[in-house]
Amino acid sequence: MKTLTRLATATALSLGLAAPAMAQVEVEWWDFLSGGDGVRMKALIEEFNAEHPDIQISGTTLEWGLPFYTKVRTSVAVGQGPDIMTYHLSRLPLALEEGVLSPISAADLETAGLSTEDFFPAAVTAASTDDGQLMAVPFDIHAIVAYYNRTALEGTDWLDADGNLTGLDSVEDMTALLTWAKEEGFSDPLSFQTEGGGGTWRVFYTLLRQQDGEMLTDGEVLAGDNLDKAARAIQIMADWRAEGLIPEQAAYEASVALFSGAKSVLHINGVWEVPTFKDSAADGSLGFDWFANEVPQLLDQPATWADSHAFAVPANPDMSDETRAAVMTVIGWMEEHSLAWADAGHIPAYVPTVDSEAYAELQPNATYASLAKNAAFDPRSKIAGVASPVYDAVDNLIAPAVHGFLSPEDAAAQMKDQLQSLLD
Amino acid sequence: MTLKQARNLAFTGLVLIAAAIWTFPLYWALTTSLRSENRNVSDAGWLLDELNFGAFREILGNSKLPMWYLNSVGTSGIITLIVLVTGMMCAYALSQLRFPGRRLLYLVVVGSFMVPVPALYVAQFVLMNDLGLVNTWWGIILPQLVVPVVIIVYKQFFDAIPKEMREAVVLDGGGEFTLLFKLYLPLNWGITAALAIITFITAWNNFFWPFLVVTSEDMMTIPVGITQVNDAFGVAYARVMALALLAAAPVIIGYLIFQKRVTEAVMISAGVKG
Amino acid sequence: MLTPKRRRRERRAAFLMIAPFLFIFTAFFLYPTYSVIALSFTDAPLIGEGNWVGLANYTKLLGDRLFHTSLWNNFYFVLLTVIPTTVIAMLIALAVSKLKGRMQALVLTLFFLPYVLPVSVVTMIWSWMLDFQFGILQPVIAAITGKPVPVFKNPYWVMPMIAVVTVWWTNGFNVLLLIAGLRNIPADLYEAASLDGATPWQRFWRVTWPLLWPVTALVLTLQLILQLKLFDQVYLLSNGGPFNRSYVVLMQMYREAFQLNHGGYASAIAMVLFLFIVVLSVLQFQLLRLGGRK
Repeated sequence: MKTLTRLATATALSLGLAAPAMAQVEVEWWDFLSGGDGVRMKALIEEFNAEHPDIQISGTTLEWGLPFYTKVRTSVAVGQGPDIMTYHLSRLPLALEEGVLSPISAADLETAGLSTEDFFPAAVTAASTDDGQLMAVPFDIHAIVAYYNRTALEGTDWLDADGNLTGLDSVEDMTALLTWAKEEGFSDPLSFQTEGGGGTWRVFYTLLRQQDGEMLTDGEVLAGDNLDKAARAIQIMADWRAEGLIPEQAAYEASVALFSGAKSVLHINGVWEVPTFKDSAADGSLGFDWFANEVPQLLDQPATWADSHAFAVPANPDMSDETRAAVMTVIGWMEEHSLAWADAGHIPAYVPTVDSEAYAELQPNATYASLAKNAAFDPRSKIAGVASPVYDAVDNLIAPAVHGFLSPEDAAAQMKDQLQSLLD
Repeated sequence: MTLKQARNLAFTGLVLIAAAIWTFPLYWALTTSLRSENRNVSDAGWLLDELNFGAFREILGNSKLPMWYLNSVGTSGIITLIVLVTGMMCAYALSQLRFPGRRLLYLVVVGSFMVPVPALYVAQFVLMNDLGLVNTWWGIILPQLVVPVVIIVYKQFFDAIPKEMREAVVLDGGGEFTLLFKLYLPLNWGITAALAIITFITAWNNFFWPFLVVTSEDMMTIPVGITQVNDAFGVAYARVMALALLAAAPVIIGYLIFQKRVTEAVMISAGVKG
Repeated sequence: MLTPKRRRRERRAAFLMIAPFLFIFTAFFLYPTYSVIALSFTDAPLIGEGNWVGLANYTKLLGDRLFHTSLWNNFYFVLLTVIPTTVIAMLIALAVSKLKGRMQALVLTLFFLPYVLPVSVVTMIWSWMLDFQFGILQPVIAAITGKPVPVFKNPYWVMPMIAVVTVWWTNGFNVLLLIAGLRNIPADLYEAASLDGATPWQRFWRVTWPLLWPVTALVLTLQLILQLKLFDQVYLLSNGGPFNRSYVVLMQMYREAFQLNHGGYASAIAMVLFLFIVVLSVLQFQLLRLGGRK
């Protein structure tokens, strides 16, 4: 019935007929949440719509990454953007450069029933311009975690009494585990998105930061020995690939399927896939016992790649006050209901949720909560963030080097050159 | 004689096998869409041995496919109508009437055949934005309205109609529009249907332009919608194939019904310069 | 014979009849053509005004390595598709034309079917069939090369595989054109050749090939124009990768205009492609006509 109504409305609109006056405010919502967390978000949107007869969210999930941000940029330029969208805080510097966001005023926050004190300070800083103007409302902090097949590791030295990963303190330890798994018949012992894109970047950046390496220092890309650290991070992945310990050119979906199909014993991916495994374990289709831990510290210091989802309002001078108020109501409601979002694996940016008892009991979140203090965010720069030039370098240099098409040293050096030229 | 028959049979069999291999991708899409997701990622053989409609149910229930159908049918239908009507009128003038600039116009029409339309997309996008038509049906439609081949084909068919047939209508006091719609068009229903089908398929299958000019999910056409909108799927090969097949169903069914006309349409365009 | 009054009436009718097409043609074709040319001399963003920069975009293009790569990939793709698809289409057309009645209709339908599919359906199906981990065609590839190949991630495989998908998708159109051409060859020519004792091979080269040449030339020309406009399949299958080995000119135009907001530069890229296609297709058609006369 809903579809029919919308069909009729769309027909009327497209034929140029005026839509009947509606008391309802329609909020057009865009997101890129196509992982397991997308299901939770859809449920949240439906719940919101049910509770608010006066505001209806009409949600669209677009292709993650570059396609999403291209659509945002183009549609904002022609004044056809959504009313609200999810946005990666790692991309905020690029967003500022492109001018696609509308600042969030104190009055806006008040309408939403929020204040900046409700959020972790780091998240607020990440969501603001350099001079402190808030540009987006943080929703979560998400990181990569190590998913593992508990059933397969049962009874080995790599599980402790509580069933958590243990004994993985160096690259050699990890290699030993993966080699063992390979012999046990796991065709691709550690799966992640090795083809490039976000998956490769997240593992690379984690390995770089675990050596205390930096992408960007004082406007210089991979300065000093950071270049060697980058090369080492690539080398580690290339070695695993050469040994067949990580899959060749795995696309995102394939990397997930390798783990759920028990072809991998470990899977490094974002917390957003927690619902995928939760749901398939619940309906009995997974076929093994799974869990997730913080990514083990294999190098000098603990570090885990992380980013934040936030809500942003696209720049649009024609937005009515009524719609804007409705958008703020949506944001406020979402933050208050962010426990459901935590169930999607994420760490809410909204402090009251994180402080709640229900959150403390949520698994596997509680187990990997420790990663929050080791979170390594992308450098704050217009060359970094989702679908930024860094991602081009990952596709064109890091992933090829992992697969042996060029040496890790060359890949790191060329990456330094290419990215540096964009900054100068 | 029996040897020749046997050879013929073997030849037919061989061609049939080749045709079957050629169609295998569609068979495989169907097989995948009718299996459970887990089976698709385990080695499950090549046979269509499971009839699980779960993926289809989920797609039909959850996606915006109906909206996209409507957009595709609407825009392609309007494009076809306008292209044919403007095309046949222009072709009639070129074929039957004398007016200054006739040769030049025909030259321009034939010449524009060579222009790579996507090279104009940036400018057409800017134009659609100036007209406020981004994310509308008209934004999708307008830049697709120039189809020179329709004029060229119509003109050839109009040229072939004997002049004597005009006289009767002219003696009855009929003007040029009467001539076109009461004489020339009815004599060419076949070619009109053929051109309509080809124009419709081309518009229906256009990806690049609707992909640029539409950003809102509600305005997307089928080919754009199925690639740009992602529903939360996880492992989703069966659902992706179900989506692809549902998206292709109207053109496949349409083709199977109007097969002869489609074949004819393509063959007629071969006569253009042949 | 024509009175001035009748001539005026005829002109008026002609004007009324060409006006709708002329309006559409001018507004949505000629004018955009003019603006692409104009834009290509400016530094305009996608939406908004720019400054006149003369030939700066074009000189920048000369030194743009990605543009060189893209142009090369376009030519490589033409090489991989135009002649192979024509040869395959001709084989199929010859085979189909030997069949009779319903069998012919059935086989023709099967070969033509892919052509009516939307490009995204085609790419979705082939991505799945060629999926590195779970694709049904990987065992076939493994049987030939010794191991599975992630085809759209491999710099050597990517363009040939996009060509295979493209040929599969568009070939039916060429088959139909060639069958139409074959049907136009009078049967008595074959009979005469048979009476002269010509083998099937000789019959093909002496009768079919020369008489079919105009249609073959048309197919080659249409294919050349079509395949130079490559965008959809690349965008949907490989997105230009790996390391730009499948980047093509329209992809770069799209990226410059819609991702980097460089409307002027994108227009210059479009102009170069435009000129290439016009010059090449005129040249090719002339060449093919000459070839046919011999």
